[in-house]
Amino acid sequence: MTQDMEIPDPLKDLDASLRGVRFQPRASLLPEVQGRLRRGESSEGVAPLRFDWLALRAIAAVLVAGVGVALWVGQRNRGITMDHCCYDLDGGGSTDDGVLVVTRGGQAVRRIAVYEDRDSSRSLTAGDVVRFDRGSELTVGDTTVPGMVTTRHCCLDYDGGGPDDDGLLVMGVPPDQVMMVALYEVRPRQPSPHYPLR
Amino acid sequence: MTRPLPGTEASSGTPSPAAESLCQEWYEAHGVAVYSYFRFHVPQVDVAEDLTAETFLKVIRAADRFDPARGSPRGWILTVARHVLGDWRRRTRLRQYVPIGALSDLVFEAPSPEERLLREEEVGRLLDAVATLGERDRELIGLRYGSGLDTAEMASVLGLSEGSVRTRLWRALKRLREVMMA
Repeated sequence: MTQDMEIPDPLKDLDASLRGVRFQPRASLLPEVQGRLRRGESSEGVAPLRFDWLALRAIAAVLVAGVGVALWVGQRNRGITMDHCCYDLDGGGSTDDGVLVVTRGGQAVRRIAVYEDRDSSRSLTAGDVVRFDRGSELTVGDTTVPGMVTTRHCCLDYDGGGPDDDGLLVMGVPPDQVMMVALYEVRPRQPSPHYPLR
Repeated sequence: MTRPLPGTEASSGTPSPAAESLCQEWYEAHGVAVYSYFRFHVPQVDVAEDLTAETFLKVIRAADRFDPARGSPRGWILTVARHVLGDWRRRTRLRQYVPIGALSDLVFEAPSPEERLLREEEVGRLLDAVATLGERDRELIGLRYGSGLDTAEMASVLGLSEGSVRTRLWRALKRLREVMMA
């Protein structure tokens, strides 16, 4: 080792100790390297530990992404049930009607039921009378019945999507017939007739 | 070295005789420096051997990329060794040095087994202390005392000025001394 560097006095002993440390590899290491070179072995093949952190990170990233997608899909497909009571939805004059709305992720409607809250529980229970019940498809009952009335109720969070931006359209014949129920979403600051029916 | 470097592999994928010759030449000239550099960083003899072998396999395969105008073969080989060590560290996450009893490769002309044992304990304590230092300090000490690089070579390998190398090495030694005295 060269003495090209002036070492401060307090460090000279330590410098001398370190200079005295010498290691010698075993004599057979060179032939071993030459043999591996001759066999065309990859230099990457001699790692003392084969744990591949890059692969682990990639797997972890895929898992995290998978969980994220699953959560997102789950959130989107999660059924949300909203039960609003009580209003005069059927035109009977009493505010004793409720509407049960089941949506997928607060978006697509799966079910709408209008019921009369007979037991005053302010929710759909076994003792109530269901006036109208539909699935995800918009259905309309007999519209030839005379005296049909359309009422609009706005705005609440009927679909569970968050903001109170949903309107409820009910067609029926007072005092207790309901032919059609639809949800629509009110566009921000646009209380226009262009209601997207849900 | 001013002569042109030989091609490292024949068309069949096997190393050319020139490459084998170069391997032997470089290993004989710098093998101990590379091995000792690793021994300042890793506790196990077999790991240091593996890393040394890996370093020389890499440098021989990439020998045609070595530019003598940009530095000495030793500096270039030690640069490769640093990368090999870095890769190994990332794989193993090993930090603790446990050298006692693992210094069979220590060069020491001891007149008796007892003296050799004492010397191994002394070096073991020294390397234990080195192992407690930060990455930069260990790098400086490994290059200086393991590989025996001079200041200019260290500056080239580390990409620092010679003055900076001196200052940093002194600071590293000062920290090492504090560890030894604690």
